[in-house]
Amino acid sequence: MMQTTITIILLSLIGFIAGLLIFLASKFLPKEDESLGETVRIKEFLPGADCGACGHPGCFAYAQAVTKDKQVFAKTPCPTLAQDKEGMKKLETYLGLKSEAKIGKKAVVHCTGQSETLADYRGIETCKAASQLASGFKECPYACLGLGDCVAVCPTGAISINPERKVAVVDWETCIGCGLCVEACSQGLTELVPANMPQYLGCNYQAARDIPGRKRCPDGCIHCKICVKVSQNGEVTWDETKDLPHFDPEKCLPAHAAIEKCPRQIIKKTATYKEPSAISISAVSKSKPLR
Amino acid sequence: MSNLLAIFLGMALVNNMVLVKFLGLCPFFGVSKKLSSAFSMGIAVLLVMLVASGVTWPVYHLLLAPYGVEFMRTVIFILVIASLVQIIEMAIKRTNLTLYNAFGIYLPLITTNCAVLGITFINIDQTYSFLESLTAALGAGAGFTLVLIIMSGIRERLGLADPPKAFKGTPIAFITAMLLGLSFLAFNGMV
Repeated sequence: MMQTTITIILLSLIGFIAGLLIFLASKFLPKEDESLGETVRIKEFLPGADCGACGHPGCFAYAQAVTKDKQVFAKTPCPTLAQDKEGMKKLETYLGLKSEAKIGKKAVVHCTGQSETLADYRGIETCKAASQLASGFKECPYACLGLGDCVAVCPTGAISINPERKVAVVDWETCIGCGLCVEACSQGLTELVPANMPQYLGCNYQAARDIPGRKRCPDGCIHCKICVKVSQNGEVTWDETKDLPHFDPEKCLPAHAAIEKCPRQIIKKTATYKEPSAISISAVSKSKPLR
Repeated sequence: MSNLLAIFLGMALVNNMVLVKFLGLCPFFGVSKKLSSAFSMGIAVLLVMLVASGVTWPVYHLLLAPYGVEFMRTVIFILVIASLVQIIEMAIKRTNLTLYNAFGIYLPLITTNCAVLGITFINIDQTYSFLESLTAALGAGAGFTLVLIIMSGIRERLGLADPPKAFKGTPIAFITAMLLGLSFLAFNGMV
């Protein structure tokens, strides 16, 4: 009987002390940071993809930065949320300010996948591993290997591998321009361009870094520079270091004439390409449809 | 001093919490997919083990043993450890938010972790002194962190490997854990 009483008393005593300690801790510790609740509320508006496109390590860190200084949102709005106009509006009204209308970025892949396969690759199924062996198993040392390193890192599933030509294709509808694929591509083929860029080059063959015995595919740039010659407004310039045409991301001018004249037809139109008015160049209408 | 070193190494390697004593297996498989989170989890477990040992030792030797209620130790230890972790979590959350983001999110997971409860029982069963208890907790925590880091490193590389379809994911992780356990058997009888 004595034993039971002692046990009960001791147990309730310890329970009481533990409860008291928690009570004292919650009462006398400094109050929870006011900003924490606010941060959680702001995070509700964010997409939660933790892609890091805003430059902060994840959505929570971005919400913290916005809580501290609302101007962070005005200057660098969440690039993922910027794709979703309604969600953007909700956060804007919540914060009571307008973000600077920024043109988002989108990824392009500078390859059309026409290069022949040189060797049968059997190894670790990543581009990074395959590219270690003689710049990949394609005839062109700059070709997309199609093993999908970019697909694996894409937070929105915007990149897919074309099953016929084994080349990565970006869907601009779902691409949020986070740039993770740019880091993932071992061949350096993906690039971020402004969302209003009307065209990109479907090749990355650099004559300056020619590798003996390897050659460009039938879709490869032959460095004829005709695209530069036919562009009147300077929409196409020549990138001397890469030895490839360059489209100024600041201007984003449509290069109708260059698209038409390119002998290899590798200046590809993007989703934001607009056909020129009928008077300026009627020949464009005859151009091949984009693959 | 050499006694303490023997306890530390014994708890970390020879009587490793995960691979020899089979305690704390849930975080071993649950939080070992990424190296960074495995490290955070390991450090959090180490700290909680230290604090739990530091508190349960006086509770047992000053309260339970004198009144002859040793048989209630499971209930009381769980009670003490759980409330303690609550207080620690509260304190971290309110004073250092960055630290809370890094380690705090693992604390609720640890509250009733069997590895934490296990080390407090081992301390009592081995009749360790207070200092020896703390050393044992430090060793157990270090061993736990070590195994978690090794496992997550292997699993990160396993992601690149191409095992048969039926083995993908958890099955191959179990096989890896088995081989890891075999290799830790080599420490047997060292201390």
